[in-house]
Amino acid sequence: MPDLGGDAEDRGPRAERHMLESLVCPVTQGQLTYDAEAQELISQTAHLAFPIRNGIPIMLASEARELE
Amino acid sequence: MSPDNRTTHFGFQTVDEDQKAGMVHGVFSSVASKYDIMNDLMSMGIHRVWKDAMMDWLAPRPGQHLLDVAGGTGDVSFRFLGRAGETARATVCDMTAPMLEEGRKRAEAEKMAERLDWVCGDAMALPFPSSTFDVYTISFGIRNVTRIPDALTEAYRVLKPGGRLMVLEFSQIPNDMMQKAYDLYSFNVIPKMGEVVTGDRDSYQYLVESIRKFPDQDTFAAMIREAGFEQVKYRNLSLGIAALHSGWKI
Repeated sequence: MPDLGGDAEDRGPRAERHMLESLVCPVTQGQLTYDAEAQELISQTAHLAFPIRNGIPIMLASEARELE
Repeated sequence: MSPDNRTTHFGFQTVDEDQKAGMVHGVFSSVASKYDIMNDLMSMGIHRVWKDAMMDWLAPRPGQHLLDVAGGTGDVSFRFLGRAGETARATVCDMTAPMLEEGRKRAEAEKMAERLDWVCGDAMALPFPSSTFDVYTISFGIRNVTRIPDALTEAYRVLKPGGRLMVLEFSQIPNDMMQKAYDLYSFNVIPKMGEVVTGDRDSYQYLVESIRKFPDQDTFAAMIREAGFEQVKYRNLSLGIAALHSGWKI
């Protein structure tokens, strides 16, 4: 079973998967891939990883990690 | 400041464009936890009346999906969902994550959690696909954006055809005498009040300066038309201390 990143037991605020899937890269408007373990949204087109903190995706290029 | 950099306003200071976002971020991170109470004090509760006037004109309907940009603590989204009913959704988008965290803690946010999304993003580069939303609101947020035309272009992009933009922002009082009286109040009282309530005078000094710098009603309406919106209209609130601007993506 895939990790949906939203355990009912886990009461820390987590972003909901459907919401994450509705986002695009703010730089390229390209698709994003959700890395549940790292809590990041990856934009291959912009070579950026956007962090998810306290369940809130931080979709700012200035806060994103550059991919190698 | 290098000569080839484009500059913008930060209150009455002129700053490099690439500095403004960080400075605005600083202001709102600093005041996040006391933002709501400060708004009440500053406007003597009138910002609530203005937000209700916004909803009256907007007339939220079932099934609509709202994007509330600079929606911070959720004020506009809660009102929208309250009026539109169970089938509506709202996405709150703000550049300052601490503001969103404050909003999510509020009682209304818990009641409406199923219908609310919280996303940290920039009004000039929204992380949403084109033609997604029925309604775009920005309430006391657009004057903090570095390049206002870029934000309006993004608003147009993410709205569905038939979608509506509504902006609530401080504006200019058409009567000079009244504007002078209001300036006296805002420049003398608000920064002091901010200092007492939040311990942060500078942030509120920025707020009053940025209000004064924002274009008047007709100039801003022209900017909205320039971004592609049609049937652009505005309504003054409290004599023009604030104004509502409405436009449609046809």
